[in-house]
Amino acid sequence: MKKEDLYLQMKKAIVEGDGAGAGRLAGEAVKAGLDLLEVIEKGYVPGIQKVGELWEQGEYFLPELISSAEAMKAAMAVLNPELQRSRLQARTAGKVVIGTIEGDIHDIGKNLVSSMLQAGGFEVFDLGADVKLERFIEKAESVGADFICLSALLTTTMVNQKRLVALLRERNLRDRYKVLVGGAPASQRWADEAGADGYAENAVAAVKLAKSLAPKR
Amino acid sequence: MSRSILDLVRQRTVLLDGAMGTELMARGLPQGTCPESWNVEKPAVVEEIHRRYFEAGSDVVSTNSFGGSRIKLAGHGLEGRTAELNLAAARLARVVTPAGRYVAGSMGPTGKFLKPQGEFAEGEFEAVFAEQARALADGGADVLLIETQYDLREALCALRGARRSSPLSVFVTMTFNAVPRGYFTLMGDTVARCMQELEKEGARAVGANCTLNSEQMTGLVKAMRQETRLPLIAQANAGQPVLGSDGRVSYSQGLEDYVRFVPDLIRAGANIVGGCCGTSPAYIRAMAESISRRTA
Repeated sequence: MKKEDLYLQMKKAIVEGDGAGAGRLAGEAVKAGLDLLEVIEKGYVPGIQKVGELWEQGEYFLPELISSAEAMKAAMAVLNPELQRSRLQARTAGKVVIGTIEGDIHDIGKNLVSSMLQAGGFEVFDLGADVKLERFIEKAESVGADFICLSALLTTTMVNQKRLVALLRERNLRDRYKVLVGGAPASQRWADEAGADGYAENAVAAVKLAKSLAPKR
Repeated sequence: MSRSILDLVRQRTVLLDGAMGTELMARGLPQGTCPESWNVEKPAVVEEIHRRYFEAGSDVVSTNSFGGSRIKLAGHGLEGRTAELNLAAARLARVVTPAGRYVAGSMGPTGKFLKPQGEFAEGEFEAVFAEQARALADGGADVLLIETQYDLREALCALRGARRSSPLSVFVTMTFNAVPRGYFTLMGDTVARCMQELEKEGARAVGANCTLNSEQMTGLVKAMRQETRLPLIAQANAGQPVLGSDGRVSYSQGLEDYVRFVPDLIRAGANIVGGCCGTSPAYIRAMAESISRRTA
């Protein structure tokens, strides 16, 4: 198969959320000895970009996003070990520590953002829900994160997003991380008020926002 | 047998209550505490909120059991108290309910997904909702209100579970987003499909709550009315939460603007109206006045 056709099939597998297909095509690329970084960039990434567009147009919904993110994972599960073997690394868009803020157990939105960030090439450390402020900072420090992403579904727990920013300031760590906030009650105005670096309304917008703020490497 | 809610719906617009969670917090529910735990720890507070809604004009109050499914309670480590907390929720609402008014047993989403997006099988969801429904019915609920569902499959599991374990009428509200192509749930279910499938599965009233404000909800009610002849429920949010500089949360659609659309909701086909996030007994009082002006 021609390289270009293979890339098109890869894109299609991601758009259709076909994990088995995405994995199989990745295997073919490995066998054919293709440049795997190019395979990711030209085969799979256009797929996840297309998925984002379909979401924005109201054609795709949460199940499609999840299936496509899973398909991306299936492809990367095949490609990553091969890249490591040749001492290469998939270009990471940045390191993200993410979680639902202290006091809040809602995690559907957070999980979706986490999956989409991963599919978008970020290295994601998902701390789960009801995460203590302290824990976000510890993790971000230990992995050398670029981003701390905070989710909250409740107006009452949303205020903890602001407390985290304050805590970072207190420890002179504020400049080390981009802090992004999200969740049903959050807004750009809230992000400004909380002193965060950005707000995204949904998972697709979150990936775009993170990319626009990502460190240039 | 006395007059049921469904009988009342045939005569006039029925008024539900407004938000519960924010009312509990205003009375000191600490952040991160399971609201349902107060059915046992602080029943007097929950009773007072129900009473305030009845005083404001609610025909029906919904029990403090929105997050009372075993799966949701497990997030607080309280899954072992599922029956106890739901039973208490219905009992305490029952106690303060005047004659001729009603208790709706509230059942919200599990917060988890069915396969393939999640780990759960439909049978598991159905059993979990059946358990909750049974306790609410045992505690004296008049109807069951399955609320804020963003996944039609989960809503149908809840409906089947509720109908299996109790003889009560079951009402279901879904929550829809307005996207460029129309109204869809988070999972992409259309209005038409939701209305049709819920009706087929035996819901006695259907509708929508949360997410949209009362103006947006009017358009959605019109769309729902085209798909079903069942009584329609509409419980809009008071817009979006806004955090003031004093750290207090208010909602972007103020009371007057919210209530202004109540006649439109009814004209569009809503039979049962009430509030959702950002609403309070004051909203319900104003809605009651709006409804009575309309019928007067």
